[in-house]
Amino acid sequence: MMKRNLENIVGKVWKFGSNIDTDQIIQGRYLMMLDYSEMAKHTLKIQRPDFASNVQKNDIVVAGKNFGGGSSREEAPKVLEVLGVGCVIAESFARIFFRNSFNVGLPSLIVPDITEQVEDGETLIVNLSKGTVKKDNGTILQAAPLPPLMMDIVSAGGAIPWFKQRLVGQ
Amino acid sequence: MGATLAEKILATHTTDGKATAGEIVEANVDFVMVHEVLGSRIMPILDEMGVDKVWDPKRILVVNDHWAPAPNIQSAEIHQRNRDFVRKHGITHFCDVNCGICHQVMADWGLARPGELIVGCDSHTCSYGAFNAFSTGLAATDTAIILATGSNWFRVPESRRFEISGELPDFVMSKDLILRIVTDLGSDGATYESLEFHGPTIDSMTVPSRMTMCNMSVEAGAKTAIMTLNESATSWLNAKSAMSTWTPMEPDRDAGYVETHRYDLDSDPLGPIVSAPNSPANGKAVEEVEGIEIDQAFIGSCTNGRLEDIEIAARILKGKNVAQGVRLILTPASMETYLSAVRAGFIETLITSGAVVTNPTCGACVGGHLGILGPDEVAISSTNRNFRGRMGHPESLVYLASPATVAASALKGVITDPRSVA
Ligand code: SF4
Repeated sequence: MMKRNLENIVGKVWKFGSNIDTDQIIQGRYLMMLDYSEMAKHTLKIQRPDFASNVQKNDIVVAGKNFGGGSSREEAPKVLEVLGVGCVIAESFARIFFRNSFNVGLPSLIVPDITEQVEDGETLIVNLSKGTVKKDNGTILQAAPLPPLMMDIVSAGGAIPWFKQRLVGQ
Repeated sequence: MGATLAEKILATHTTDGKATAGEIVEANVDFVMVHEVLGSRIMPILDEMGVDKVWDPKRILVVNDHWAPAPNIQSAEIHQRNRDFVRKHGITHFCDVNCGICHQVMADWGLARPGELIVGCDSHTCSYGAFNAFSTGLAATDTAIILATGSNWFRVPESRRFEISGELPDFVMSKDLILRIVTDLGSDGATYESLEFHGPTIDSMTVPSRMTMCNMSVEAGAKTAIMTLNESATSWLNAKSAMSTWTPMEPDRDAGYVETHRYDLDSDPLGPIVSAPNSPANGKAVEEVEGIEIDQAFIGSCTNGRLEDIEIAARILKGKNVAQGVRLILTPASMETYLSAVRAGFIETLITSGAVVTNPTCGACVGGHLGILGPDEVAISSTNRNFRGRMGHPESLVYLASPATVAASALKGVITDPRSVA
């Protein structure tokens, strides 16, 4: 896993509504696929069939409330990470998705009114360390600060490299 | 300020004996449950981490349950990997394709005990709050860390208290109560919280009914749900658990809660609740959805596939036939449940009335096998999730209800109030 660029994530917005549950991100029937790049072709298919084929590196998924509710499947943030999504910004997250996203090295940010603030397709610049989201027109939106532990995990590139670092440190 | 159940249990698992809501603590886990996610995701992560030994082979349950027996080559391969893992690491507790759904196996084998901290690689791990345990679901990477070290970080949850009194009327089940609570809270109304269920209604509930409520708490976003030990849970543990000692936990009198919700079922009686598509939090009084035509009725899953669920379905369908054009599928939660239902005659009753009875597995609940829905089909189901596409085709619809409502609906071919057919 590569170390993530956390200061300057530049990408286009893919906008979704509220309550995008884990079955919308990746349906249960694809979970038996061992190859993540095959599985990732079905990401968010029910909501936007063109997502997996058109998403570009560092693009940003923007959503309303309770993104990632439902199952504990780590495949949900993982397929987004595999497709190169730069970060997810939502108005709120389900607990397990939020934790999982950092574990797989995909940063998630909470901006309470993000769906009213940004348009589908617009370019955003995200600075994770400062927790800022800069719009095309220069407006800066402030995200809720990330707990230091989450920052440590995501800067290490996810929980596996983070775990290895800790083993070495002990 | 005193401690809630969640704080108390977590505090007994941290090195400094402390755990206060909002804090992030490092805690030692008592037991881990893993299913097919072990073979598909956790094993590659353990390899990547360079871990070749689990922390304690006696404190792990491995289950092949979601796709059991394997309906395709991919799941067959994952089951093989799980079997190899169990052999290689000398795992004490292993449930292959012949014993049931992970959460029910934890209960059947007495592996979920009071005061314990239990994690599983499955979001419905919160079910063991019925036995006064702090149990919560984590995904592959976090579970891998615990398999390797026996510990992980946890954010100590805030707690939300429920005081529930009064009786559930005939044909109204704990499923109706939890669908009502989840609907009142909303699908993110309890995100990251621990739900504490108290009161005479909870104290007098059977273990299966209690498990149903803790199971579905995650549908309001909760991290865990915990009940104090009652008589029914105590006798269950005495009968099933090989370990004879445990320490039940009670919250302190002055514990701090985000909010206390009171439900008095005597002054405000509860009727059957049905959660309409596509959210468990979309609960409606059965009267509002009565008459909707169904193609499939499903009784099963870790929410409602237990003996009392099969019993009430048999009571409703005894001597009658499932409506023409409707498939009633029963998937018992575990082999133990299945066998008890056979011995009690419930299975014969249901087969005679036209039901298909499958082996214990997650099956249709996860849209995996044994009852997948086709385009535009409508199902009523005793499971816990009705997200779009959950049980099959994205254009299928799932209504969640109690096993009583599912059975009554199977009988009539349309969503039906179970009180009207009794
Ligand atoms: S029965 Fe359904 S909800 Fe329960 S563990 Fe299996 S798939 Fe998950």
